[in-house]
Amino acid sequence: MGRYILKRILISLATLLVLVTVVFALVRLMPGDPFSSEKMTPQVRQNLERYYGFDKPVLEQYLTYMGRLVRGDLGYSMKYANVTVNEIIAKAFPYSADLGLRALAIAVSVGLTLGVVSALNRKKPIDAVCVVVAIIGTSIPDFIMGYVLQYFFGIRWGLLPIAQYKGFAYTILPSVGLGFYTLALVSRLMRSSMLEVVQQDYVKTARAKGASRFRIVRKHMIRNAILPIVTVLGPITASVLTGTFVIESIFAIPGMGKFYVSSVQSLDYTLVLGMTVFFGAFLVTANLIVDVLYGIVDPRIRVARG
Amino acid sequence: MKRSLVVVACALALAATGCAPKAEKAEAASPKVFRFSYVSDIPTLDPQMGNSMPSATVAFHIFDGLTRMDNGAVKPGIAESWTVSDDGLVYVFKLRDAKWSDGQPIKAQEFEYGIRRLMDPAAASPYSFLGLLIENADAVNSGKMPVEKLGVRAVDDKTVELRLAYPADYFLGMLSMCQFCATRPDLVERYGKDFAATPDKNVYDGPFMVKEWAREDRMILVKNPNYWNADSIALDEIDILIVPDENTALAMFDAGDLDLVRVPPAFVEKYKDRVVYYYDGSNDFIKLNMASKGPLSDKDFRLALNYAVDRQDFVDITTKGLYDANPRYVLPQVAGVDAAYGTEYPLPGFGVRADVAKAKDHLAKAMARLGVADPSSIEIEFLTSDTDRSRAQAEIVQDQWQKNLGIKVVVKQVPYRQRLDMESKKTFETVFTGWAPDYSDPMTYLELWTSDSPYNHGSYRSAKYDEYVAFARKSTDKRARMDALFAAEKELLADGAIVPMQLRRESLLVNPAFTGVGTYFIGTNYDLVHADRASK
Repeated sequence: MGRYILKRILISLATLLVLVTVVFALVRLMPGDPFSSEKMTPQVRQNLERYYGFDKPVLEQYLTYMGRLVRGDLGYSMKYANVTVNEIIAKAFPYSADLGLRALAIAVSVGLTLGVVSALNRKKPIDAVCVVVAIIGTSIPDFIMGYVLQYFFGIRWGLLPIAQYKGFAYTILPSVGLGFYTLALVSRLMRSSMLEVVQQDYVKTARAKGASRFRIVRKHMIRNAILPIVTVLGPITASVLTGTFVIESIFAIPGMGKFYVSSVQSLDYTLVLGMTVFFGAFLVTANLIVDVLYGIVDPRIRVARG
Repeated sequence: MKRSLVVVACALALAATGCAPKAEKAEAASPKVFRFSYVSDIPTLDPQMGNSMPSATVAFHIFDGLTRMDNGAVKPGIAESWTVSDDGLVYVFKLRDAKWSDGQPIKAQEFEYGIRRLMDPAAASPYSFLGLLIENADAVNSGKMPVEKLGVRAVDDKTVELRLAYPADYFLGMLSMCQFCATRPDLVERYGKDFAATPDKNVYDGPFMVKEWAREDRMILVKNPNYWNADSIALDEIDILIVPDENTALAMFDAGDLDLVRVPPAFVEKYKDRVVYYYDGSNDFIKLNMASKGPLSDKDFRLALNYAVDRQDFVDITTKGLYDANPRYVLPQVAGVDAAYGTEYPLPGFGVRADVAKAKDHLAKAMARLGVADPSSIEIEFLTSDTDRSRAQAEIVQDQWQKNLGIKVVVKQVPYRQRLDMESKKTFETVFTGWAPDYSDPMTYLELWTSDSPYNHGSYRSAKYDEYVAFARKSTDKRARMDALFAAEKELLADGAIVPMQLRRESLLVNPAFTGVGTYFIGTNYDLVHADRASK
C-alpha cells in the first residue's frame, strides 16, 4: 500500500513539473505581451522589461521562476500591480471554494436522491419528471441558468439578492446555478447505475432471501451503484471548487474564475502561471486522493495498478 | 463504505453552512454614500504607476495635485497660487498648509520626489511619457541623465519649481493628474513593491481616502478629514463595486443597489428618457499604414477610403446611434483659446455620410497613378480585435469599402493585445484603433502624427504637419498656437492619413436623489467631489 501511494505521489509531481514548464512556454508564445497598450512607447517598454526581468534570457527567467515556485512563491502579479499571486489566490480561493462546496452539496444530495427515486420508479410519472430535470440541467449552459435564476428570483420577484456575496441569502442563486449541471449529471449517472444493479444476481438473491425492500435498496443497491459517482466526483470537485468565470461574473463574486480570465486577457504572465499551477495542483491532488481511495475501497485496483 | 459516505455528507453539510466569507455589516442609516460599479478591479492606486481610467478616477478622489481640474477649469489644489514665466517655461508653485491623511504636512520635496519617480527609468512607470514635456525628461527616462537633472525642484518646503522643455498651457491641467502628485518617499521606501497595495500602505491628500479594498470585489472610499477643503465635501463615502456583467449592474441599479450605472447600447432605448450622455474622450479611427508600397501609400487612395465610409450608418448599426459619427479628428470638446476647440474651429471634415462620387473620383486618380485598371484587383487587409463588436464594426466598413469602391477588403481578427503588438511593429495595412486624450488640448491628439512620434504607426510623413506642431510647441501666443494646431488637423485630414470614425458617447443612469455628479473626458470618468444627496 505504501509503495502504491508513493508511486502515485511521484507521478503527480512529475505531472505538475510538465504542466508548469509547458504553461511557462505557452504564455510567452502567446502573441502580444503584458505591456502592450495603446500608449506604450519603445522607451517605456524597455524600462518595464528591465523592471520585470524580461530582458534576461528566457532560460534564466524559467530557472528563477522555478526556484521561487519550489519555495511556494508565485511572484507578483503584473496587472494587479503590487499584489502577489499568493495573496490573490488566498483571497479568491475561499470564495470559489465556498461557492463550489455549496453547489456540490446541493448537486450531490439532490442528484443522488433524484437518481435513486427515478430508478426505483422506472417508467412512472415521477421518473419522467426526474429525467426531464436531468436533461434540462445537462443541456442548459450555466450562463443561461445564472441569468434565468437572477432574473426571476432576484429581479422579477425580488426574493433574493441580485448579486455579490455578502451572506447566506446571497449564496443561494449562484450555488444553485453552479450546481445544477452537476446535479443533473449525478442524477443521470445514479439512475443508470441503479438500473444496472437491479439486474445483478446479488439483488435477486437478497430478494429471494426475503430481505425487506428498504434493506435491499440501502445495503445492496445504493452501496454498489454509487461507485461510478465516486469516480466522477474527484475531477468534478476540483473543477467546481476552483472557480467558474460565468457564474462568478453574473453574480459579481470575486472568485478564482474572474481573476483567471482577466489574467489571460491582460497576459499577466505571473498570474496566469500561478493560477494554472494552483488549478493543476488541485486537480492532481483530487485525482491522487481518488486513486488512493480506490486502492483502499477495492484491493483489486491496487494490485492491478501498483 | 457506509462510514466514508457519512464523512462526505458531514463535510458537505459543514461546507454549506460553515465557511462563508464574512458578511458585511449593515450600513448605518444616515451617512451619504454614493455607489457605482466598474466591470473589473482598479489595477493600481500607486499614483505614478496608474495608466487606466479606473485608476485615474479613484486617484482623482484620493489625491490632490498642485492643481485640481473642476469640470474642465483649472483650480488651485495643494498649490494655493503660482506664477508662470513670460516664455511659458518656468512654473513656480506656492503650497498651502495642507496635510496628509496621517496628519503630516505636505512638503514641496514630496512633489519633487513624485515627479522624479514618474520619470525614473528604474521605477518603470508605464505612463512616464506623460511627463516628457518637462525639461530633460526624455534623457532622464532613457537613462542618459540622472533623475536629479529633471526640471523639477523643491526650492523650499513650500515652493515647487517646474521647468518645461517647451511651453504648454495645458500643463497646469495636467498637474491635477495623480502621476504628478506628491508622493511620500518614506512610505515608498518602507513598503517597496508593496507600496499602495493596500489602503494602509499609502496616505492620501485628496477629498477622500481609501478605507477598504477587496480585489475584484469592492473599494470603499471615505471622506478625508485632513483634506484642506474638507468642508466643501458632502459625501461621507463612495463605494465602488466590481460587477463584471453590465446586465447585472443595470439590474442592481434598478433594485437600488447602485447610484450610477453605465447603460450598454442595447438598453439605451429602454431608458432613453432618463439617461445622461457624456463623452469619455475616446476617439476611434482607422490607422492606415503608409509605409507599405501598396495603394495605401497613395494619398488619393486614402482619401477614397475616407469618403467611401458612411460614418452615420456605422454608428447607427454598431451602437444604435449612441456614439457620434466623427467626420474630423480632434474631439471638439477639448479646450480652444476661449471656448471649446470645436466651437472656435468648426470643420466639416469628410462629412458623416459617404460621398461616393468623391470617393470614386479619388480612386480613379489613385488607380491611374498606381497603374491599376480594375479596382477589384486591389486588396487590403482590415485588422481588428477578436470581439463580436469588432467583427460587426469590421464587416460594416468592409461592406462600405467593397460596395462603394469595388475593391476587395479582407478582415483579420486577432486578440486585443496581438492587435496592439502588430500596430507597434507596423505589421498591418489598416487597423481599427483609437486614442484617449491625456489633457484638454488638441495637441493630445495631434502629437501622435509627427514624423518622430512613437505612436505614428502609420508612418505618416509631412514636413508641413511637423512644422505646424513644432510651431504650436514653441509659441506662447495662444491664438497663433491654436491656429497652427487647426492647420495641422486640416493637413492630416487632407492627406487622408487616418480614417476618423466615431467619438464614444456613453450613457449613464444616475440616482436622481444625488446632485453634482460630474463626468469628464480626461483622466476621470466620474467626478463626485461636489456630489451631494438631498437630505431625506
